[in-house]
Amino acid sequence: MSEIKLKSYEKPENIINPDSEFSIEVNNLRKVFRGKKYYDDIIAVDDISFKIKSGELFGFLGPNGAGKTTTINILIGLLKATSGVAVINSYDVNDALSHIKELIGVCPQEPAVFKNLTGKENIKLFGRLHSMKKLEIDNRMDKLMKILDLGKAIKRKTKGYSGGMIRQLNIIISLIHDPKIAFLDEPTVGMDPRARRATWDFIRSLKKTNKTVFLTTHYIEEAEKLCDRVAIIDYGKIIEIGNPKELIQKYSVNNLEEVFMKITGRRIMEGM
Amino acid sequence: MNIGRMAALLKMMLLKLFREPAYVFLMLLFPAMLTIMFGFIFADPEFGMSMNVTAPGLFAYACIFIIMTVAQSFADMRDQGLLKRLNTTPMKSSDFMGGEIISNMILVILQVIIVYLLALPFGFTPDTNFFGILLAFLLMVVFSLSSVGLGLITATISKSSGIATGISFIFILPQMFFGTFMPITSTAKPIASLMPSYHATQALSAIFNGDLTSPQVISGFTFTAIASIIIIVLGIFLFKKYGNK
Repeated sequence: MSEIKLKSYEKPENIINPDSEFSIEVNNLRKVFRGKKYYDDIIAVDDISFKIKSGELFGFLGPNGAGKTTTINILIGLLKATSGVAVINSYDVNDALSHIKELIGVCPQEPAVFKNLTGKENIKLFGRLHSMKKLEIDNRMDKLMKILDLGKAIKRKTKGYSGGMIRQLNIIISLIHDPKIAFLDEPTVGMDPRARRATWDFIRSLKKTNKTVFLTTHYIEEAEKLCDRVAIIDYGKIIEIGNPKELIQKYSVNNLEEVFMKITGRRIMEGM
Repeated sequence: MNIGRMAALLKMMLLKLFREPAYVFLMLLFPAMLTIMFGFIFADPEFGMSMNVTAPGLFAYACIFIIMTVAQSFADMRDQGLLKRLNTTPMKSSDFMGGEIISNMILVILQVIIVYLLALPFGFTPDTNFFGILLAFLLMVVFSLSSVGLGLITATISKSSGIATGISFIFILPQMFFGTFMPITSTAKPIASLMPSYHATQALSAIFNGDLTSPQVISGFTFTAIASIIIIVLGIFLFKKYGNK
């Protein structure tokens, strides 16, 4: 009898703990950008470890330059870690990236959309890249548009979109294929309060469908309201991790911002 | 390679090209204008040149400008974070490059049709059959690979799409002056013989003279094909390694 040929990522040695309850596992992750000539090395991520359960809404907080985006970029395969292990849905990022790309949706910090295409054409393109059928894309788009409504603008070229509309489109594109795990990198920056609230509702709706959400933000209110757990990162190190309410209680303060201030002696929004 | 993904990317690339007025001008209107102007200038037999001499060069000339549009387009997509975003999808680089190459091949076919049809009223009388015309199209499609490759190399060494426009002339000008409609002197010939545009133009001239099996066609086609494959492979390699950052 002929053996079934397994794809590389399906080989047992490449599946790390298949019964794991965690969607994301990070162990001793480190990223060092080598300095050129007269510049010192930059340690962007310094030996961090954390685990995120399936269906969890996890916030990654920290000031600009703390290492949030570098961590995301390692998890989604855009950057290689200097050392350490990153595992997504039981697959090592280094061994099974092509499979991982089918499971994740990435909303980048800087909205990246094709300006000469309409909103709808952009969404369709990314749907097709995830091998979705036309009907599937239309149905999913209708669902997403009920929450993040771009109205008639969806048929216009994105050149003329406002900053907030581009951000909303950015989120729709990243979730068009209904990914198991969503990486949302500062998704609400530059949105007006109404759009921001709509986005929060949308992120909450992801949790109801048991999606794992990895959210980076420096809006403390956002993290407090949305996240099951948060990790606070500063200078590449995770300095605290836990449920927002428990952290506030632990440090006997009024909000997460004060938690950060108590640990680091400065505000998260400083230097922005 | 996934055909569905490549088709989606191809559609995006074509829409991007045809909705950008600068690209439409450069790729379609500019060759058309040039053909008409050359038609008027060289229509006078006393001048010593005719459209039959200049037309093959015009085909190659139009195709050379793909270097600029490819370089601008890639540098632009990189600047806007689009390449990074595409890299987070299951798309393979072969799907992307396949879409890019085919979209430019379609563009070249359009250019050849435009230049061919506009050159006819100005005395362009190609002495060839259907297969000759087919061979001419094929030659230009193969030649377009070198332009895509040089566009990728330009995007790799350019930090922005604005810089890419300028740098692309490093590749456009030598190909233009040493291998299209410019007369090649014996001094210029050693340099010209290194240019794919020169060999493509020489082969085209022979095809339009009706001599499909002449050594000029065989050697011109062979050189253009080999050079184009080397350049496109090099372009893809360099862009993947250094340009997509």
